[in-house]
Amino acid sequence: MRTLNRDTIIAILLLLFCGLLAWSSLHIRLPGYGTLKPSTWPQIIVAVLTLFSAIYFVQSLSYPDSDGATADDRKPGLSGFLEYFRNPIICFAIYFVFLATLPWTGALIGGILLVFALLTVLGGWTPRDLVRHAIYATVSMGFMWTLFTFGLRVILPEGEIFSIR
Amino acid sequence: MEHIFAALAEIATVHTLLLMSLGAIAGLLAGAIPGFTIAMAVVLALPFTFSMTASQGIATMIGVFVGGLSGGLMSGILIGIPGTPSSVATTFDGFPMARQGRPGLALGLGVWSSFFGGTISAICLIAIAPQLARIGLEFQPWDYFSLVFFALTITASLAGKSLIKGLIAGALGLLIATVGEEDINGVSRFDFGSDYLQEGFAFLPVLIGLFAFSQLMGDIRNPAEAKRSLAQTGDIDIRIEHMKAAKIVLSKWGNLVRSSMIGIFTGILPAAGSSISNILAYDQAKKASDTPEKFGTGFEDGIIAPEAANNATAGGSLITMMALGIPGDIVTAVMLGALLIHDVVPSPSFITEAPVLAYSIFIAFFFANFLVLFFQSIALRLFVLVTKVKMYVLAGIILAYCGIGVFALHNIVNDMWTLLIFGVIGYMMRNLGFPLAPMILGVVLGPIAERWLARAVAISTDMSNFITHPWSVFFLTLSLFSMGFGIYQRDRGKKVWPFYYTPLMVLALAPAMFMMEGFIRPVIGIVMVAGGLYALYRAHQKAVYFKTATGEST
Repeated sequence: MRTLNRDTIIAILLLLFCGLLAWSSLHIRLPGYGTLKPSTWPQIIVAVLTLFSAIYFVQSLSYPDSDGATADDRKPGLSGFLEYFRNPIICFAIYFVFLATLPWTGALIGGILLVFALLTVLGGWTPRDLVRHAIYATVSMGFMWTLFTFGLRVILPEGEIFSIR
Repeated sequence: MEHIFAALAEIATVHTLLLMSLGAIAGLLAGAIPGFTIAMAVVLALPFTFSMTASQGIATMIGVFVGGLSGGLMSGILIGIPGTPSSVATTFDGFPMARQGRPGLALGLGVWSSFFGGTISAICLIAIAPQLARIGLEFQPWDYFSLVFFALTITASLAGKSLIKGLIAGALGLLIATVGEEDINGVSRFDFGSDYLQEGFAFLPVLIGLFAFSQLMGDIRNPAEAKRSLAQTGDIDIRIEHMKAAKIVLSKWGNLVRSSMIGIFTGILPAAGSSISNILAYDQAKKASDTPEKFGTGFEDGIIAPEAANNATAGGSLITMMALGIPGDIVTAVMLGALLIHDVVPSPSFITEAPVLAYSIFIAFFFANFLVLFFQSIALRLFVLVTKVKMYVLAGIILAYCGIGVFALHNIVNDMWTLLIFGVIGYMMRNLGFPLAPMILGVVLGPIAERWLARAVAISTDMSNFITHPWSVFFLTLSLFSMGFGIYQRDRGKKVWPFYYTPLMVLALAPAMFMMEGFIRPVIGIVMVAGGLYALYRAHQKAVYFKTATGEST
């Protein structure tokens, strides 16, 4: 039996997603006024997306290698995936931590820590690198914070720990 | 005339010109850095415009836009890597000329061609857009909806290699715009009981997440490349030869005007941007030249043509955006989004309803060309400095800026989460081969389409209105052909049927012209029928020749 290719799996996921949205669209409240129901437009889009996803599914079965996606040089398996996408995965994780801790650290301290962490993970952590990254992080975030706070009058998130925006 | 003076008073202030200058320098730099696109520069400039007035904000972004178009030539000429796709053809002759020891002249030719190309298109923008917008006054909700529907079908043209993936991306964009409370009745949709989803996704975090965040992740994916400097340029000490270059460009006025016109026309066409126009203009300049063999060896005409065309494209795409309210490419889609953020709803009646703002945009575009010309030398020095910075340093700092920038929109942290979520989605989609441009178009146009559909249905539930109103028929017919444009592009030069595509489109559009009132438009319809039939005859001849030459049976 032939194994499912990547496009087929994505097409199946899209069709499942369409099913979920179609079900959800049936539960959109009808206000009893207005001629165009609030559910009509989303239902049209879901129907169109379902049609496209179905075509994509059929195409993926018919022409498994003609999807236009670029072939890459990564090794097979989960470890290959993690090795290949190491940098983006770590960056997304650091960004997640930055947002999760933002109420405590605030935009300035959190931002400096974010830039420092990103630069260190991506650029290396020799003592010299650490000092350089700390300077880059402090200067860049300090400039941005000053520009937005005083220049553009944006009230950036204030941290509970240091009570600094 | 009073609108022009009022607009001039808005733009010709020290504050606005200063903002435009900063925008132009930022655009020049972003355009010069390989891997940074003009769209990304315009997207990143958006958060700075929130606290500005609409005209100041748009003027700043136009500065970035025009700067970005001109900036690409610096890296193309000096290091042989085009900063943006719109400067690809500039590299063909610019880089050889620089290597022959004439980098100052090569840069000068590029700078002055960009300036003249941009100025010619600014004049066309001011002359054509208001005339075209008058047609918009005739539009009723059915026509508006069909127009936006046509703009949505452009996703087929923006799909790139995989048509179906482009269409799915476009539909996903439409879907993203439906999440949360809708504008018409205030009813929440697809919220699954979550307060976060009930608020919906703001346009800017979605845009920055999909476009900038995901692109930066792509730039630092490879650990070795992330640690490299942007370019190994060494120390560059170049003076742009302004006087000599300006004289050469003006002496080649035929090439300049032809290339500018190609740029403007390409810009007016939906989905055909400066990445196409610069190559088209280069090709036409080569075909029209008495010495085509000199192209590719550091020939002056080879720099003038693409640079005049890519800057002229900006004016062309603004004509479509301003007169009809539809974005022709990703940059104008972002511009439309920026107008929405400033509570300006783009539509065909935009120029009539907000003439001062509209003329401010025209004048800002005109001024931007002068500013870019003026700041090119400064930007060149900054560019040399920036090329020494390692990619991961730039990426890390810009990622932090993205978060702060989207927070500034509504002062809510949820927007920063939206940024992260769409950063992940955008990165996944890029890696799975889904184009992002159709998705952005869907996000921008989805709510506009729904609004016009609701208005049309509120007036009358009779759906036949969509096929009895002439402009609606016109745009729906155009939509049919637009949907097939992706397949047309794929099969052109390989199969017989694309020969008939354009003549059939002209013939199919003619009935809508006959349905219109007055004398001139039915006459245009007759001309279209006659021209279409002649083109069909010529297409048939070409098809027969093609079949004979290739032995194709269908």
